[in-house]
Amino acid sequence: MVEAGAHRRFVLLLRLTLVMGFAVIVLGSFVRLSNAGLGCPDWPGCYGHLVGVPENASEIESANQDYPQRIVETHKAWKEVIHRYFAGTLGLLALFLVVLSVIFRRRPGQPVRLPVAILVLIGFQALLGMWTVTLQLKPVIVMAHLLGGFATLALLWWLNLSISKWPRITIRRSLGGIRRWANLAAAVLVVQIALGGWTSANYAALACPDFPTCHQQWWPDTDFAEGFILWRGTGINYEFGVLESPARTAIHLTHRIGALVALLIVGALALILRFRQAIPSALRGTGSAIVLLLAAQISLGISNVVFYLPLPVAVAHNAVAAMLLLATLTAVYMLKSATLQKPSERFL
Amino acid sequence: MSIAKAHTGEVSSSARWRDYLELCKPRVVALMLFTAFVGMLLAAPGHVGWNPLIFGTLGIALMAGSAAAINHLADRHIDALMTRTQFRPLPSGHMDTRSVLVFAAIMGMLGMSILILRVNMLTAILTLVSLLGYAVVYTLYLKHATPQNIVIGGAAGATPPLLGWTAVTGQIDSGALLLFLIIFTWTPPHFWALALYRKDEYARVGVPMLPVTHGDDYTRLQITLYTVLLSLVTVLPYLTGMSGIVYLAAALILDGIFLYYVLALQISRSRPLAIKTFVYSIVYLMLIFTALLVDHYLPLLNVM
Repeated sequence: MVEAGAHRRFVLLLRLTLVMGFAVIVLGSFVRLSNAGLGCPDWPGCYGHLVGVPENASEIESANQDYPQRIVETHKAWKEVIHRYFAGTLGLLALFLVVLSVIFRRRPGQPVRLPVAILVLIGFQALLGMWTVTLQLKPVIVMAHLLGGFATLALLWWLNLSISKWPRITIRRSLGGIRRWANLAAAVLVVQIALGGWTSANYAALACPDFPTCHQQWWPDTDFAEGFILWRGTGINYEFGVLESPARTAIHLTHRIGALVALLIVGALALILRFRQAIPSALRGTGSAIVLLLAAQISLGISNVVFYLPLPVAVAHNAVAAMLLLATLTAVYMLKSATLQKPSERFL
Repeated sequence: MSIAKAHTGEVSSSARWRDYLELCKPRVVALMLFTAFVGMLLAAPGHVGWNPLIFGTLGIALMAGSAAAINHLADRHIDALMTRTQFRPLPSGHMDTRSVLVFAAIMGMLGMSILILRVNMLTAILTLVSLLGYAVVYTLYLKHATPQNIVIGGAAGATPPLLGWTAVTGQIDSGALLLFLIIFTWTPPHFWALALYRKDEYARVGVPMLPVTHGDDYTRLQITLYTVLLSLVTVLPYLTGMSGIVYLAAALILDGIFLYYVLALQISRSRPLAIKTFVYSIVYLMLIFTALLVDHYLPLLNVM
């Protein structure tokens, strides 16, 4: 009885952490896409305020004197600090998770290492968040911060799958190939998410203002070598990008090509899960979810271009990317933990 | 003998307008007329004259109805054996062969006269060729000769937008051929989806449809390949500059759904999905042509 109660508390806390993790990601993308990433020029305080932001005239004046390179914009500062508060709360929740998992460590099936890994990752995210500000939106830091956020959410979800009563499935041995395909699909998604982060970090979302062509051409002027230099030195303000048009075009095109590859590979996975004979119904549902999320994500990506990057669409493109990754990871998890059935057992 | 005769006489007198309408395959002809209509409107940049619109449509409608009636006549023995078609006017005994023949001949001659006198010679000849292609070459020969029957015969069924186009311009343009190509490429996945569903009936009456001769797996693969081809063909109007971005968006979405259906069919091997794919293919063709039309007239709205 005590055991069950302990388990329930852990699951409840994990669910809460999961929701918070998702909120922090969406909030983070909102901060970035509304150009509020440098809303506070310092870290962890905001213009020296440890709580809140400079608001009345005298505070703003002294803040502007202390940070002459960045004049106070109160609404941007608020967006930035709210993201920090949410992220801080997430860190605390993750800490509680670790504490609970250490307390319950003797309980069979209680994961300990994964909660610890999540806490370490969130700590590293705080570091990346700091560098995002102090290195003035250096693209590789911004991209790493995005990937770190997605990794945190993915690990939380994986933890949730492994401790909750997610349906255990049995599949035919002949369907074993789907496992590898699901792993491939997840890998493709991770690469595509990184490319999306790189596109945003370099302000290349509108480098091709038209779709399906780019600058009315199928293969416009591009500079891939320049577009994919990861380290350009520090001390540069990267807000609104530093790259010339051909380099941004190269980045944008790569994300489009990645989208096509992801559509084919993740789409194939989804259709196989959805329609292949002898697939357990739980896995079929995951297939349907991936189909819907994939269609939504492609539509949102095209809408970003066609409608000139409306903020809600851009934020949704980020949120659906996260959900698509989680749905694909669900398939990976179910296939990984599935019991393979020998052909002879099929009729038992 | 006399009883049989009396019986036939009684039956043919009971034939009503519904049977005549049924002979014309009104739903198929309606879809063809819609594509012909779109062909007419796309043929010219601005306003299209009433003459080709009215008489072109009427002539093509009569010829298509005539072709359908001849098809009923030629297929009456097969139709009697298939559940889907056993209640058609001829196999059910509502009509006799002679009245169908007379009906088809009158409609064909009337349609031909309208096209020659009020439209143009090119359209009249092309329509006649299509009619003969469908009613004679396809129905009497191809259908029973080869599993590629509907692929080749599809050429006759794909002509309506071309006919509509020539009714307006009097010549065959590349745009008209493109519209023809869309329906030509659409026909195999459309028809084979139905054939998968009705495979047993086709097998029973000895029609060599692809699933009967080459099996379901091969047919599903062909459906998928033709649908990929169709997706590329339906992008051509945008690539050639005939249609704009609105058409492209609609075509890509419609193609995406079609591909979803056929891939689902390919993976699941489900028979109910075959009939769903067939129904969707009809919706698809209507919406593709609607998109062509909307895209064509959208610039006019902007001007106003």
